[in-house]
Amino acid sequence: MKVLWSWLCELCDLDRAPTVEDGARALTRGGIEIEQLVDLGAGFRGVVVAEVVGKHPHPHADKLTLVDVITERGGAATQVVCGAPNVPEPGRKVLWAQVGATLPAKSDTMAGAPASSGRTWLTLAAKAIKGVMSPGMLCAEDELGLSEDHAGIVVLDADDRTPLGATAQRALGLDDWLLDVNAPANRGDLLGHIGVARELVAMLGGRLVPPDAGVQGATGEPEVAIAIASAEQCARYVGGVIEGLRVQPSPARIARRLRAVGVRPISNLVDVTNYVLFELGQPLHAFDADKLELEISVTPANDGEQFTTLDNAARTLMPSDLVIRDGGRAVALAGVMGGRDSEVSAATTRVMLESASFHAMSVRRTARRLGLHSEASQRFERGVDPELAGFAWRRAAHLLVQVGGGRVTRAPRDAYPGRREPKPIHVRLARVRAVTGVALDAAGCTDALVRLGFTVAPDGSALDVTPPSARADVTREVDAVEEILRVTGYDQVPSTLPELHEVPPQPPPDRADLARAALAAAGASEAITYAFQSAERCGALGLAATDRRSQPIAIRNPMSEQQAVMRTSLLPNLIAAVARNQSYGRGDVVLFEVGAVFLRRGEGAAEQPLHELADEPVVAAGVLAGRRAAQLGEGAPWDAFDAKALALEAIRAVAGPVAVHTRATASVAYLHPGIAGELVLDREVIGWFGELHPAVRARLGVVGPVFAFEVELDKLRLAEPPQMRPIPRFPGSVRDVSLLLADSIPAARIEEVISGAAEPLVTGVRLVEDYRDAKLGAGMKSMLWSIAYRSPERTLTDVEVDRAHETIVGRLVENLPAQRR
Amino acid sequence: MSPGSSALIANLEQLGDEFLAVIRPLGDEQTIRAAQAQFLGKKGKVSELMKELGKLPAGERPAVGAAVNKVKQTIESQVAARLGELADAAAQADLARSVDVTLPARPVGGGHLHLLTLVRQEAVQIFAELGFVVAEGPQIESDWHNFEALGIPKDHPARDMQDTFFLSEEILLRSHTSPVQVRTMLTQKPPIRIVAPGLVYRRDDDLTHSPMFTQLEGLAVDEGISFADLKGVLLHFVKRFFARDLGLRFRPSYFQFTEPSAEVDMQCSFCGGSGCRVCKHTGWVEIGGSGVVDPVVFEHCGIDPERYTGFAFGMGLERMAMLRHGVNDIKFYYEGDIRFLEQF
Repeated sequence: MKVLWSWLCELCDLDRAPTVEDGARALTRGGIEIEQLVDLGAGFRGVVVAEVVGKHPHPHADKLTLVDVITERGGAATQVVCGAPNVPEPGRKVLWAQVGATLPAKSDTMAGAPASSGRTWLTLAAKAIKGVMSPGMLCAEDELGLSEDHAGIVVLDADDRTPLGATAQRALGLDDWLLDVNAPANRGDLLGHIGVARELVAMLGGRLVPPDAGVQGATGEPEVAIAIASAEQCARYVGGVIEGLRVQPSPARIARRLRAVGVRPISNLVDVTNYVLFELGQPLHAFDADKLELEISVTPANDGEQFTTLDNAARTLMPSDLVIRDGGRAVALAGVMGGRDSEVSAATTRVMLESASFHAMSVRRTARRLGLHSEASQRFERGVDPELAGFAWRRAAHLLVQVGGGRVTRAPRDAYPGRREPKPIHVRLARVRAVTGVALDAAGCTDALVRLGFTVAPDGSALDVTPPSARADVTREVDAVEEILRVTGYDQVPSTLPELHEVPPQPPPDRADLARAALAAAGASEAITYAFQSAERCGALGLAATDRRSQPIAIRNPMSEQQAVMRTSLLPNLIAAVARNQSYGRGDVVLFEVGAVFLRRGEGAAEQPLHELADEPVVAAGVLAGRRAAQLGEGAPWDAFDAKALALEAIRAVAGPVAVHTRATASVAYLHPGIAGELVLDREVIGWFGELHPAVRARLGVVGPVFAFEVELDKLRLAEPPQMRPIPRFPGSVRDVSLLLADSIPAARIEEVISGAAEPLVTGVRLVEDYRDAKLGAGMKSMLWSIAYRSPERTLTDVEVDRAHETIVGRLVENLPAQRR
Repeated sequence: MSPGSSALIANLEQLGDEFLAVIRPLGDEQTIRAAQAQFLGKKGKVSELMKELGKLPAGERPAVGAAVNKVKQTIESQVAARLGELADAAAQADLARSVDVTLPARPVGGGHLHLLTLVRQEAVQIFAELGFVVAEGPQIESDWHNFEALGIPKDHPARDMQDTFFLSEEILLRSHTSPVQVRTMLTQKPPIRIVAPGLVYRRDDDLTHSPMFTQLEGLAVDEGISFADLKGVLLHFVKRFFARDLGLRFRPSYFQFTEPSAEVDMQCSFCGGSGCRVCKHTGWVEIGGSGVVDPVVFEHCGIDPERYTGFAFGMGLERMAMLRHGVNDIKFYYEGDIRFLEQF
């Protein structure tokens, strides 16, 4: 909320008059965030209040006037040339920009805009106008940058009391500051100047000065009848008539204050309701009493009831909306907006002024549903103190009498079915100390609460405290503890470390972090990408409709189509990141991400609403594009085996040195059907690697081949701490075998046959050469394998090694089948 | 001395000179050893001459024997000398090699952990020193865990503070890591000391806000925990994380699930508190929210609010990384731009 410093100061009598900076600091210390502090007078300089003492026609121009002005009672007059049509008679005060004054070059922004708003300035020089020298000028509002108004020069009210020679800022109420206050969500009381004043009083010491709410002559019986259907929906409704009003513009003081807090002045009747709203935080509504029966009822709307609001929009209502009726007809949406048919107009002379307290949830629901967020609804949504309604009515009536020429002959009707007796809160001093960690005593606590307007009664080692009615947020002991601490100062709390009684059990290491460390060590760089993406990007993998991952969970209220669904795979974002890096000229990249993907549980299709939480398996995925780094020149291009290596690194980082088997697969939609493998551990597929399908890469805008892998980390069992195996004490022997075999037999098959031979002396198998050549025969390849033999007990003889080797070769030849070369 | 003996001795002496001539041009050990065998081997030249020995008078044989030994020694020392020369030459040649050491290093590794991962791991480590262990929870959460259990019912204005992404009426993207607190307190008895780092989601997007960001939440519940402990723990964290003695300022604030609540400001790590662009010339930067756990949360989680007290805090790791590493736009964290990733 915007708070005007002068208005705030008017509502409190502080022990020591603070500067605005002191005030802002005190409020901040108390937890009221001042988002911005604006000097309203920043801007023009050198413009003073002058009195007109004479006016003469310009000798050479009909539309110009020569005006004699003084800036000092009895001082010498200066003649200024003025082109405005409204030069006042002698005795009235105007604003004179003297030679040397700084004025905005363009009147494009309002006063109070931040100094950095890019406005350009000019310095006024004496200048001849149609042959007559003019030392400066008399200013219109636009020339001071206050508004667009150029209809005439500013003439101060006849009763203006600004001394001659004072700054124009002072005369215009601009020697002031605007505080942009960010009120916490539970502090509806801070949405009026009086609430902020209460805080200032608590923080700086002093007393609150409520505004004048005196109303004379309201002695007659109330003429308004009020029926409230539910005390919960409407705790209080004060309604009464003010008559004899004359609609006209508000006096400058009210208009300026409203403009400063961001409200456009309209007429005295409307302005007074807004003024009181900003002053006290109580929303008011003025009905034209001549368009209204004074039989008021507050009831739920009928289902489908039609109602036209002030903004001329036809609304269809629901029973959850609360309406004000006269007789049977709806005349206002309670707390949200009035109706067109009972709106005040220029011809209004009698108003029925409403000052009521509506239920926060009800107003909030209606305002949300209809998208009608007004100054009034905002306040009701945060809760308005029912105790305030009567005082606010009288304050508004007081002002309507003062500035609208009105009179009040009858007392307002005050229907208050929701009255609650204030309930004291029992605050134990021991609890205060336990929560805050500060050694506060009864006197200290009492002082803090009394400053905030609480009533405090000692009760042994506790206090019975009653908050002021405005502080509906304080209902529990702990709320009062916070209030005590707020006033005492959070800076009074010492810093201590909590005692550690026992060392908590440590959770197992984080799989994701194990994989991350391994992948980064293996040369990949970690990316973290949005967990949501466009439906189009999610679809780029080309997954079958039966695949869970093709049915992403949609966000109901996404910020954009780019963030519409939850990711079901890490790959699309990573591939898109490759494309982006390519566009920066960084085509050689290895990226990985380890994170959750989001999958619907059960069979639900994408359109069905989510009834339960999702599966969030943690996946490690990576992409390689371009070439590896070389010392000089170009390195070798990445290929599928680099992707495989990274996948295995991630697996082993989590699961330890487990046996992972590879087999070819052509069923992974987003991988090249001929260059794709699945990784199998204990008969379960735990990951995939290969070359990205060219169609997928084209959809995501990547140029050139991309290699990718994915590992489902949740499927891995965490490795136990590795146990040391004995270091071999005896030398081993190596035998090679060269095989000629069909090229459809994968390397994994050879390893399988070798391990199937269960030859205890074998300690290692290594493929040395995989050679394909037409000379070998169609569909044939040659492979050279190297097999290592060793015994833990002795040095093997050649005969023993040869015997073992020949057994294995025999198996290979027979089982694959293969020829020995 | 018979002429035979004299001639034999002369021949033996001559063999020494002859050997020297043979090995002088030889450049490797193998040929030198072969030459040595030609002279000293079983069928070598010295042995050949020795066959004459039997024909000589017995009294002269010792003198001839001495000559044989002498020539053997001569040849052996010549071999040793020549091999030594060759070794020296080889050592010299080896030392004569040189490379341009200013050539670029051969690339190794080349991978980087994400800055947010590094910052998270470090933060978790610092809290671990004070006995906090990591707890986790789902990112897709129920309305109850994210809001209701924390004292934020439907239609409560506090829900506006965190404009939330909804997946259905009851299911949402968690808007803070606080549901992890709830899940922990529902399943564990005090004493509890956890940190919950994790991704959270809010409808917010500008230079300093991202619709997805990383929060680190802390919770301590025990007998005798107070606001003072909260201050001490956060002060410890800031000192360790920034490795500087930066002051903290606690400002009263409002969070539904803590009371009293506080915004935590830290002395600006860029200017040390003297005022700069980063802290908007205030000397302070906001690093998170905190407070004493509201009894209502304990009640929802079945913990006795009379016996136990606790504190909770939450901070954005993007912000901590920004303050320590000068990241000036939050979007860099999520774009996978290698030019950003490779800097950390």
